[in-house]
Amino acid sequence: MWWQWPHWLPLAVLVPLGGGVVTPAVARGSARRAWGWAAGVSAATVAVSLALVIRVARGGPFSYAFGGWQPPYGIEFRFDEVSAFAFVVAFLGALAIVFSRQYAPHALAEPRVPYYYTLLLLDIAGLIGFSVTGDLFNMYVFMEIVSLTGYALVAISGERIAEMAAFKYLVLGAVSSLLALFGIGMLYGVTGTLNIADAASRLGAAASTMPVIVAVALLVLGFMVKAALFPLHVWLPDAHAIAPSPVSAVLSGLVVKLGLVGMLRLYGVVYASRAVDLSSLNWLLTWLGAVSIVMGAFFAIFQDDIKMMLAYSTISNIGYIVMGFGLASQYALVGAAVHIFNHALIKSALFLAAGAIIYQTGYRRLSDLRGVGRGMPLTAAALSVGAVSIVGIPPTAGFLCKWYIALGAFEAKRAAFGFALVFGALFIFVYYIRMVNAFYFQEPVHADVTHVGDPPLSMLVPVWILAALCLIMGLAGKVPLTFVAPAVSRLLGPLGG
Amino acid sequence: MKRALVIVLLAIVAMPLLAAMAAMPRFGSAEQPAYTHVAKRYLERGVEEAGAENVVTGVILNYRGFDTNGEVTVIFTACAAVIAVLAGSRNRQDQREAASSVPESLVVRYVVRLLAPFIALFALYVVLFGEVSPGGGFQGGTVFGALLIVMTVAVSRNQAERLLPLRIRPWLQIAGPLSFLAVGTAGVVLTGWYLGFPQGATAATRLMLMVLEFGIGVGGATVIASIFWRLGDEA
Repeated sequence: MWWQWPHWLPLAVLVPLGGGVVTPAVARGSARRAWGWAAGVSAATVAVSLALVIRVARGGPFSYAFGGWQPPYGIEFRFDEVSAFAFVVAFLGALAIVFSRQYAPHALAEPRVPYYYTLLLLDIAGLIGFSVTGDLFNMYVFMEIVSLTGYALVAISGERIAEMAAFKYLVLGAVSSLLALFGIGMLYGVTGTLNIADAASRLGAAASTMPVIVAVALLVLGFMVKAALFPLHVWLPDAHAIAPSPVSAVLSGLVVKLGLVGMLRLYGVVYASRAVDLSSLNWLLTWLGAVSIVMGAFFAIFQDDIKMMLAYSTISNIGYIVMGFGLASQYALVGAAVHIFNHALIKSALFLAAGAIIYQTGYRRLSDLRGVGRGMPLTAAALSVGAVSIVGIPPTAGFLCKWYIALGAFEAKRAAFGFALVFGALFIFVYYIRMVNAFYFQEPVHADVTHVGDPPLSMLVPVWILAALCLIMGLAGKVPLTFVAPAVSRLLGPLGG
Repeated sequence: MKRALVIVLLAIVAMPLLAAMAAMPRFGSAEQPAYTHVAKRYLERGVEEAGAENVVTGVILNYRGFDTNGEVTVIFTACAAVIAVLAGSRNRQDQREAASSVPESLVVRYVVRLLAPFIALFALYVVLFGEVSPGGGFQGGTVFGALLIVMTVAVSRNQAERLLPLRIRPWLQIAGPLSFLAVGTAGVVLTGWYLGFPQGATAATRLMLMVLEFGIGVGGATVIASIFWRLGDEA
């Protein structure tokens, strides 16, 4: 079948990578040409990564050996169920690029637009590479591509405050990359290999566990800064709120997940090798996850800036996922893994809808946006669907994964965390209610807000595709859950769980 | 007070790191896993398998060529990031030309002009001989990039920029990733794998390695110079 062609796997990275680097040369300074090219490349990326998802669903995980060198001598791409994140990346990336058609020339200086698409495509390439690679150092290389493009995309609008936010992001991001690199170096020193599967089989034979413990700690710390787990989140709110909205969608929906996918890979190595006992780490992550949920929601309540609110909400949701990791039971991990996908959809829907509202009205504070539900009915409705999903009200995409994480808490006999999760959801409910209330029920402060009209189709269509997916993924929620279950069983298998 | 706190904190963080380092396999020992597992094959069979007499080149371009594919992309990303963040922020074309036409010192200018061809030749040598001796595209590209910067500072920016014509500069900047894509695709045709090289030191392997080294060199030099010029626009 067409999807069995082996070269789809490298192409999933090479298409956006090659397409991204040539964008400025192809565009020759024209924003319109750059958009057309980037949209074509991202559509091709979606098609390629779809082939990979079909193949993994039909036949289970598969590999690609670069240069024909069999692992561990060469670099291996390994596509498993978790790597299906690559498809989410390609899909959301494509929607963000479509959305940028009118948004980018409006938000950026004209000469920057082709480079904006270059950076977006490279970001997509890096994220796809990160989620499909089976090699520790290769993972670092892709992490650097993602981080570098991320810093630049935050700063690209050229406002002073954006540059400050990007700088803060850059400093913390560089430190976290360095920590991860150091951890990878130590793992190499102990095992003599960079291949993830090979490291998993050799780590158990390490002469001393001390370097392994420190290496794991450094990697976890690095990944958790990237994922913005409380209290390592300080870079996130400004960077995500100030970036151009399609970039916010990509950063909040996809880029923070890099740390989480990295965690799953690390767990794969450590659980399989049984080199060190992770129960104290998991205990810490469960607590930090719970604190993250509550603190993220707490800060979000006090935000008036709509994008700032969404940015804090990401911290809460990362908390859910990390808590699921920490609980380390089948249900919790399945829920956490699926929430990586679903949160990406929901948060992109929210950020793109918020971006469309800001584009049309020029306001970004809730107090200024009162009554916008009347002025932009379709956009505000999409934003409300996203809000309902992220709170986790059935039957939307946010419900089932959170439900699974709560079940996992009970399964792990730590019911208190299940209640913490529900409590957090109530908190989150409060501030999204505030938003919906402002949009529909409060008297407008600015009269123009009530008759601005919905945004152009290039914005409305991506927003509504995502909002519809929030509903569809809720109704068909079983599909992703059963899809990732084999990967989680493989991960937990060595624990006898 | 704050400084004392930082010192205490650093000491606390340093302790586990030092303890871990002490427990690592002995540095330089021939029995440590870093030498006995994967690296062993590189050292024993690298020259005939990977087609490069310099084993380091064999590892970075052949065994782990895809990492280098990513690294050259990182280098271009840095360039794209600088351009994206600074493009169109301030246009000081006129002032720049007025300022750069006045040389800092006649002696420096003369020496730079005298040395320029030799530096360029050396850069080319480092690029082309990376396959057999220390060096390669990254190093040679850096030497050439440094030459462009020296020329900009000591002679004139216009003269330096003429070496990388504006019309094809977007293509020169991506020479690194493009050469990898080309050689990688050639690998698919020849061996069935992306970035696959025919076994041993055949003419095809040498040519492919040369294309990679050259692409990395041209791309690296262009990126270094472009970043420098872009930052100069900003000052």
